[in-house]
Amino acid sequence: MSKQSRRSEFLSEVGNISAFTGKFFREGFKPRYEWSELFRQCYIIGYESFPLVGITAFIMGLVLTVQSRPTLEEFGAASYLPAMVAVSIVREIGPVITALICAGKIGSSIGAELGSMRVTEQIDAMEVSGTNPFKYLVVTRVIACTMMLPILVVLADGIGLYASYIGVNLKGIVSWNLYTTQVFESLTFSDVMPALVKTYFFGFAIGIIGCYKGYFSNKGTEGVGIAANSAVVVSSLMIFVIDLIAVQIADILGLT
Amino acid sequence: MSTEENIVIRTEKLVKSFGENHVLKGFDLELNKGENLVVLGKSGSGKSVLIKCMVGLLYPDSGLVSVFGKEIPKLTQLELDELRTKIGFLFQSSALYDSMTVRENLEFPLRRHWMHKTKDEVNELVMEALKNVGLERAVDLMPSELSGGMRKRIGLARTLILKPEIMLYDEPTTGLDPITGREISNLIVAIQEKYHTSSIIITHDMECAKIVANRIMILIDGFKYTVGTYDELVKSDDPKIKPFFA
Repeated sequence: MSKQSRRSEFLSEVGNISAFTGKFFREGFKPRYEWSELFRQCYIIGYESFPLVGITAFIMGLVLTVQSRPTLEEFGAASYLPAMVAVSIVREIGPVITALICAGKIGSSIGAELGSMRVTEQIDAMEVSGTNPFKYLVVTRVIACTMMLPILVVLADGIGLYASYIGVNLKGIVSWNLYTTQVFESLTFSDVMPALVKTYFFGFAIGIIGCYKGYFSNKGTEGVGIAANSAVVVSSLMIFVIDLIAVQIADILGLT
Repeated sequence: MSTEENIVIRTEKLVKSFGENHVLKGFDLELNKGENLVVLGKSGSGKSVLIKCMVGLLYPDSGLVSVFGKEIPKLTQLELDELRTKIGFLFQSSALYDSMTVRENLEFPLRRHWMHKTKDEVNELVMEALKNVGLERAVDLMPSELSGGMRKRIGLARTLILKPEIMLYDEPTTGLDPITGREISNLIVAIQEKYHTSSIIITHDMECAKIVANRIMILIDGFKYTVGTYDELVKSDDPKIKPFFA
């Protein structure tokens, strides 16, 4: 494939995703609302992802603490360990790692599910029955992702901080009260808010990319695999792009 | 005989291409009220494309496609959705929603179009639709637990639940053994008699065509080649028609 055709393919993909997002905003707020499907998706995306997110957050908190200790000790700043880990987890590592885990788990499952519905004509069947498949399949999943990701991130932050407490106590003795005091004294509004706000965008990106890739899947069963794979790749990339933009905006607003 | 009031679906000079692949090159068709019209053609000749144009799943490049006198490409989404409730479409793959039980599959269109129905009324309609296809016992099964023939029947029940006036069947007997295929063909005739539906049946199964067809239309090279009854066509000496009936 030539450079020019690759560039035009990329630009048309960007255009198509933008149009798909535009359709989401046009369709998303018009009745009929698919409440039961929305709650089902919230359960699948939120509740069923929690064990994986929780285990990852626990390991992340523990490893970060254990690996940071020697460096801080070298500078005689071991007492800053809880504060440093808390800021790292809440500001950056918690949201980004959780979003990446969800991009892998949720993005791929949405891409594969909608992709297989497309190739087995289930989406066409909804359409010819006079039902709006975009509302039923896309709007519900995107909203569920957008709503559930911040909750998963908050839970992951909590689990990560608890794991960090265990990590701190592996080579020392710090009481729970002292640990939590140090953690909460180090965290400010500008640490928590931008991190929380960007998770909504992470969730939205995972939902919209997963749905887009699945909804327009083609080439039969091979297309389902491609849809699942590209949903993960593109949404993971989008998470980093959004993170970069969020950092710049927070910097401009003085929230750093 | 075709009269204007009698025609429920009409296509005129219908053209549809996919890139360089010119599938329909000016196809003309008229479906009369209450008749079963079989469209015969080789694989890849554009039969499925034709009926997908009739429900707005695909839009023609040029030409006319109208259902109940309404031109499909000119309808708004709302008008199209309303019209689609009068059209039942049985997909080749049955297209059952595989994350839902049979009951939920049947309730899905009902709950969106007949919202005023109570739970009991919905249940009654579901059971009636399943009774029509002889599968009441499958109500709580998942699609993955059904055989190919059962899937076709459930697909048929799902399309019938909104009591459509037109039925479009996309290769209803493909992939089925001869006995099950015959059962599905007889079911198509029974549905026509019970609900007075007008149907287009896309197939290359001659036994199915023989059982269900009031008229048969042959699609060759993107054009309507000929039209007639089964008995007329089976006697034809035309070298292009003969292979279908060999």
